[in-house]
Amino acid sequence: MLAEDSANKIVESLHELNVQRIVEIPKVGPFDFSISNVVIYMWVSAFLVFIFFFVVARRLRKEPDGLQTWAEILLNFATGHLTGQIGEKGKKYYYLILTLFCYIMLTNLIGLIPKPIPLKGYTPTANINVTFGLAMVVFFVTQYQGFSRHGVRGYMGSWLAPPGLPKALAPVLSAILFLVHFMGEFFKPLSLSVRLFGNTIAGHLIILVMLGLMLQYASAIVIIPAGLFVVIMLLFEVFVAFIQAYIFSILSVVYIESAIYAGH
Amino acid sequence: MAFDPETAARLAAGIGMGLATIGPGIGIGLLTGRTSEAIARQPEASGDIRTAFIIGLALAEALALYAFVIAIILLFVA
Repeated sequence: MLAEDSANKIVESLHELNVQRIVEIPKVGPFDFSISNVVIYMWVSAFLVFIFFFVVARRLRKEPDGLQTWAEILLNFATGHLTGQIGEKGKKYYYLILTLFCYIMLTNLIGLIPKPIPLKGYTPTANINVTFGLAMVVFFVTQYQGFSRHGVRGYMGSWLAPPGLPKALAPVLSAILFLVHFMGEFFKPLSLSVRLFGNTIAGHLIILVMLGLMLQYASAIVIIPAGLFVVIMLLFEVFVAFIQAYIFSILSVVYIESAIYAGH
Repeated sequence: MAFDPETAARLAAGIGMGLATIGPGIGIGLLTGRTSEAIARQPEASGDIRTAFIIGLALAEALALYAFVIAIILLFVA
């Protein structure tokens, strides 16, 4: 009985990770276009990012006030490494990288705010579909850059063995290197998405399991250490939310740079 | 006592996750140590060093997260 009960309390607290449909839309083939709480929170964070930068852009001044200072700090932080890594050619990626950084950070932070049950709280980045979608954007930008700058021949050619090798060795090495590079291109979005998803969901799982333990064993011996742990973990999660957004944007820059300067 | 598949999956998830944290733990430890050494030696280059540190951190951490995803699949899907 006790074991069953404890499982129930902990499983109940994990229900925050469930996707709940809010507006039902009939399925079209295998695709489900229903509006769920994931989509709602994605819209909320996208809207907040848009409003923030819209307001800041409308009132740009020579002497920045508080809001503009924050926006400039964000811009410098998210894209400061961009010109350092890519150089002048990277200028047009300011928008993409800044958007990715702000959007991911805001979705992570929104998930950390405790919400009452009717709001159906959810962290969009704790869903692998969302993170994989973000990573696919970076993947397509990278491949487009590679193919449009170097042509199919030049870009694929940069995956082969470098010139100047002995004639007998070159074809074998080229075949191996081509396979490695080809798979590597597909593993890049995979590792990007899994990293963000794993970090977010791992923190949430730990916090929720601790909360479930506190609800189940309502005694001081459990509640005090578990409560302290939850508080410390929440603070750490704020840090993780920030650092993961930074890692996502900086790795996107590294991948895009590798396509722009393919073969160097 | 024979294992039923569910028990085996749970055991595999727990043990696998524990084993998978060893490598990235060692890696992140080495990385942090070397980074602090490098910053102590050349404080003026700390910005570049920190960027390289964070990229390395992300790559090392991803290994444990692959195992974490496998563990989740074992627990909830298998």
